[in-house]
Order: sequence, then structure tokens, then C-alpha cells
Amino acid sequence: MSDALPHQGTGRAGTDPSAGARASAGTGASAGPFAGTSAGTDPSRAEGLRVGLVGAGGISRVHADAWRALGATGFVTSVQGAEAIASEYGFAAVPDVDALLDLVDVVDIVTPSSTHADLALRAIAKGRHVVCEKPLAATAAEAARVARAAAAAGVRLFPAHVVRYFGEYKAIKDAIDAGRIGTVAVQRFSRAGSAPRTPWFFSESAGGGVVRDLMIHDIDQAVWFAGPVASVYAVQNPPTVDDRVPAPVTAHVVLTHRSGVISHLHASWVAEGMPFRTSVEVSGSEGRVRHDSAEENVLRTDAVLSEGSTDYLPPMSPQESPYYAEIADFVAALRTGGELRVSPADGIEAVAIAEAAYASIAAGAPVALPAPGEPLIAPATAVSPAAVTPATVSAVSAAEAEEAAR
Amino acid sequence: MTAPAPLRVAVLSFAHTHALSYVHALRMMPGVELIAADPDGAAAPDQAPRGAELAAELDVDYVDSYDDAFAWGPDAVVIAAENSRHRALVERAAGAGVHVLCEKPLATTVEDAVAMREACERAGVVLMVAYPVRFAPAFRDALAQLRSGRLGRVLGVTGINNGKLPQDRAWFTDPELAGGGALVDHVVHCADLLDELLGERAETVRAVSNRFLHAERDLAVETGGLVTVRYPSGVVATIDCSWSWPMSSATWGGLTLQIVAERGTITVSPFAKGVAGHDARGETWAPVGADLDALLLAEFVAAVREGRAPQPDGAVGVRTVEIVTAALASAAQDGAVVPLP
Repeated sequence: MSDALPHQGTGRAGTDPSAGARASAGTGASAGPFAGTSAGTDPSRAEGLRVGLVGAGGISRVHADAWRALGATGFVTSVQGAEAIASEYGFAAVPDVDALLDLVDVVDIVTPSSTHADLALRAIAKGRHVVCEKPLAATAAEAARVARAAAAAGVRLFPAHVVRYFGEYKAIKDAIDAGRIGTVAVQRFSRAGSAPRTPWFFSESAGGGVVRDLMIHDIDQAVWFAGPVASVYAVQNPPTVDDRVPAPVTAHVVLTHRSGVISHLHASWVAEGMPFRTSVEVSGSEGRVRHDSAEENVLRTDAVLSEGSTDYLPPMSPQESPYYAEIADFVAALRTGGELRVSPADGIEAVAIAEAAYASIAAGAPVALPAPGEPLIAPATAVSPAAVTPATVSAVSAAEAEEAAR
Repeated sequence: MTAPAPLRVAVLSFAHTHALSYVHALRMMPGVELIAADPDGAAAPDQAPRGAELAAELDVDYVDSYDDAFAWGPDAVVIAAENSRHRALVERAAGAGVHVLCEKPLATTVEDAVAMREACERAGVVLMVAYPVRFAPAFRDALAQLRSGRLGRVLGVTGINNGKLPQDRAWFTDPELAGGGALVDHVVHCADLLDELLGERAETVRAVSNRFLHAERDLAVETGGLVTVRYPSGVVATIDCSWSWPMSSATWGGLTLQIVAERGTITVSPFAKGVAGHDARGETWAPVGADLDALLLAEFVAAVREGRAPQPDGAVGVRTVEIVTAALASAAQDGAVVPLP
């Protein structure tokens, strides 16, 4: 899927993988992961692991780069663009998803969001492990279905919430867990950049929208830092009319966590070409920690460049690339059977909160999420826009999500 | 050329620490005669110097009572009393035909704020509210950029007014005298800047708050809060008013507006101009740039002298109190959305 990368703008199209690209398929029978390799000292090395990318948009290249760096054997399928990925990264292009599923141990789903759940279920049905770009599915119910299927099939399911692998955000998580800022009280997150080009990003029914696609990164961070959410209040300007998400667009979400922590999340798609910027600040009873991408000073180039010299691509640093880190974490978990930094339940919860945010925008009122163990509650359709009492939305309960994730 | 007639200004109360910088700014102004009265200072529960002692430190003439201050015949007063005590002093000044600069927030209830604005209107005296941040050159620059239209329409704003707990004065955390905690102290500056930026009155207000910051002090007011405001044009804004800077911070706090427009964003932090460093005790911060309180006082004094209405006026004082009281009501109702009447 070619969504806005958390660290940069986007422009490349996501592609529909349902039709096959003309390409020569790799061959060879499927066997267990790491077939033909002796496990080295580094459990995150992926030599012998056969990985199939579905989708050839912008994020596909980022994942392909990481898989290649880890030594995996790569395959790729997409309606268009598969051959380019294949030649750039030394992968084999495969005509369609079914052919891909026969060739690989792991399926890495990097397609438009509305296709994630169906592709994941097809891969799981074939007994393949799944890496799925966020959001795990378009709805929390679908996400839970995927998680249940993966648990039943005994395969790994990794919702790729990559911001958990950004060093600064991980350092904030570590500071919180170590008690360095005391009791967390107030959190703020911001994420703004260029509006994407591909049409599906602007259809909420197709899994798009600035909350579900962009803000979901920070929704996951807010929950990672401060735990489950009790209520969601969301506003967006301009509003989405007839399923058409406007651009530019800005959205604010305020979460009240079950712990009492309050979080503000801002996400905007500004004009195309807008530089990407993220920031985070977490305040607690003993201190505060913050990061703003606009204040990064590790590398700055002040230069007078000649025209035509703008095509420089920075080298990927395995030590610092969060995309490399997330794939490496997945490979290590596959090899050792250990925990991943993002669980299927985390993927479901992020989608459930995004869904509640859209319900809040529609209702003009806060929306309550069901407590762990509570049954599903009636949807918020009866709430008028001027309602002064918090509404409740139907969502997969945290308990169900938890269960599904096991 | 003759000097302008001396302008007599009385500073009423040292309850708000801003009184100190107002006195300093007024002392620097030519043609201003200054006295101060702080009759409630002795009764304050905190240990900060007040009354005649503080007046001596500030090198300003002191009188013991508000009666004495008004008997002195001031042309104008600067009111820096506790929030809920503003109304009585403003109405007294209006009754005496004296112009008023009142510390923010104008009042703790909309009813009080409206009564104060009306009293000054009836008396034909200036009512200005002490919102100095809108005088910051960086904010004027941001306004000019946005008003030029080159960034397109404003879509949304995040306002951040965080700082240390104002512990020098105990009344800041007294629900009666202050009207609330962080929601009262730190929403109004951003609300004033939004008022100036958008030129429209808020439509709905929604707030949540908690008391995890400084919980060990067992305060009777909220210390953290997030306030979301919707405007008729569709603009959405959220204000983080939390007292979330640890007491070990090198400076009091700061204010940042992150403005998202159609073709770009503007981030303006008027108090971020300065020199950072370290000394033997840790981080240091030396602010640099325009003295915003001096700019505020200069506008007030000029308006009084010229007989014109200054900004920010009583009307924006009322509109910002509306947002604060709606935020308090929303937070008290578990985050219900409160429409402004």
C-alpha cells in the first residue's frame, strides 16, 4: 500500500493486486520458513525465508528494501508495477496472488487498506504468516476476524505499525515504562504532510480518510504509551461529504484513556508537496518528554545545488531505519516464537479507535468504546449533532480483540 | 513642544504576578504617575511578598486601600486582583469614570464579564483586557502571512499554553478566587489569539481534564486539560492548557500555535526566542525579544490619551470567558459538547 509514510510525503499509487501482472513466476515448492539455512547467530536474518509482497506502491519499496537487506528471497505481485519492484530489489514477479501464496512462507500485504482483510484471510487460509501494513483492516470487526483466523491457523499476524520502531517514539515508551516522567497525564501527537494522490485515500468506505490512514499511527502510539481508550471525540475540517474526503483536510481527536490520561492527536493532509512533520510530547507528574521532527539536527545540508541534482536518494541505514527494524523484529519473532512489538490486538484496537473517531465526527459528540469484557453496545445513530451526552459506538470489545489475538 | 499632561495610573492589587511587570513597564513610560494598592495582600495564604513591602521592592508609591487609590484621582487603573475580584474593582472604576486595563481572564462567569463590559460602556471608559501575546511580533507576522492569503484558508489550530504550576500565588488553585485551574489560567491566551486570527465567535466547546500533574499537592482544581473548539467557518481548534512543565524547567513555560492552512502550516512560539544553556544547576534560558507587557501597556496608555478604543477590548474579554466557562461545564459533564448560546 502506498500510504503516506510516517516520515515523508507520498505520491506513488497503490495498486490493486486482484489482477495479475505479466511476469515470470518464481518456482519451487513451499517448505517451512528458513528452509535450507542453518540459523546463524542473528535471529533476525532472513536467509532462506521466502517472502511475497502483495502491492507495488510506495510503501512496497520500503518493505522490499528491508527484506532484501535481511537476506530474504522475495516475490512480488501487483496489478501494476510488480516488475519494477522485482528488478529493483532482485525479487521475482508473480502473476497473481494465488501463485504467490504457493511460493512463499510470509505474505507482506502492502495494498490499499480496503483489500487488507481479504488478502490476509486468503494468506492465512494457505497457512502463510502475514505482515500487514496498517490499518489491519477497514473495520475493527474485519480486523478481529483476521486475528481469529490467524490464531486458529497458528500463523503469525503482524500489523505493521512502524512508528513503534522509530527510535524517538521507542525512547519515549521506554521513559514512560521506566517511570522517568512519573504518572502520565497529558499526551499530544501531530502528523502533517502532503496529501496523497491516489483516489482511494479520499474514500472512507474504501479504507481511506486522514484519521484511518494517517492519524492511526499516532492512535497506536497514544494507546502504546497510555493504555486502552474509554472515549473518543473527533472533529474534521472540511467535513467528508458523500464519502468524499476533502483535501487539504485537518482532523483533531481527543482520547480519554481508561487510566484517565488525556491525549490530543492532530493529523493533516496539506497541499501536495508539503514537507512532512511529526511531533509528540508526553507530560507526567515527574517530567515531560518530547520530539519534533522539525528540530532534528543530525544531518542538515546547506548548499547551492545545480538544477537536475535533486534525484539523490539517501542510503537506507539498517541501524536506524524503522522499516528495517519492524521487518527484522518480525523475522526474529518467527524464528524464536517470541513476542512482537505490535500484536494483532494492537492492530484491532487502532482500527476500533479510528472507527469510533469517524462515529464521533458523524455524531458531533464523544463516543464511548466498550470496556474490556463488556458486550457490544448499540451504535450511536440515535445521537443528534447537538447531543450533550457522550454517545456509544459499536465496536469490537477489547476482550474480543484480546481473545482473537491469542 | 510641551510634554503631554501626566497620566495618573493606579495598579490595584499585586495578586497576579503580572502586576510586577506592569509596574515595571509603567515606570519606564514618560508622563505616567504611578501608585499601587494591595490591601488584600496581607491576607494571602502564600509567603510571597505583597503590599507595601513589594511596592518598595518595585520602587512604586504605595497606598493602603482602594479608597485611597481612587481618592488619588487616577485617570486609569490596572487591575491585577484575583479573577473573581475583578468585577467589583472594574465596576468601581467605571463608576468613578476611570479607564480600566484588567488582568485576564476578565471574570470567572460570563454574567460578571458582561456586566463589566456594560458598566464600562455606560461610563464611557476604556475596558482593555491584558492579553499581551497578541502583541508579539511573531504573532503579528503569522497574522499578516495568513491575512495575505498566500497560505489559503485556515483549517485548524493547535494551541499549546503549557507551563509550571503557578505556585507563587496560592489563589491560582483556589476554585473560588481563580474560577478553576489550568482550564481558566491557560485557555484564555490561546482563545484570544484564535479570536484575533479567526474573527469569529466559537460555536461549540468540548473539554476533558485530569489532576495527575501535581497530584501530591491534592489541589482542588484541574492541572491538565484539552479543550476543543469549533467555529462557524468550520475551523477546529484544540488548546492544551496543562500545567505540564516540571518545576525544574528553566523557564515558566511557553505558548505555541500550530496553524494548519490549505497550503501550509505556521508554527508560532513567541516565547521560544532566547538563549539556551547550562549552569551548575542545570539548563538555563534567557529570553530575548520584545517585552510584550510593555507593548500591551503602551497600547493602553496611548488609547487612554487619545480617547480611542484599544484592542483587546471588553468584548473579546467576554468571548474568551465564554470559552473558558463552557470548557469547565464540558469537563464537569464528562466531556459533553457545549454549544455557546
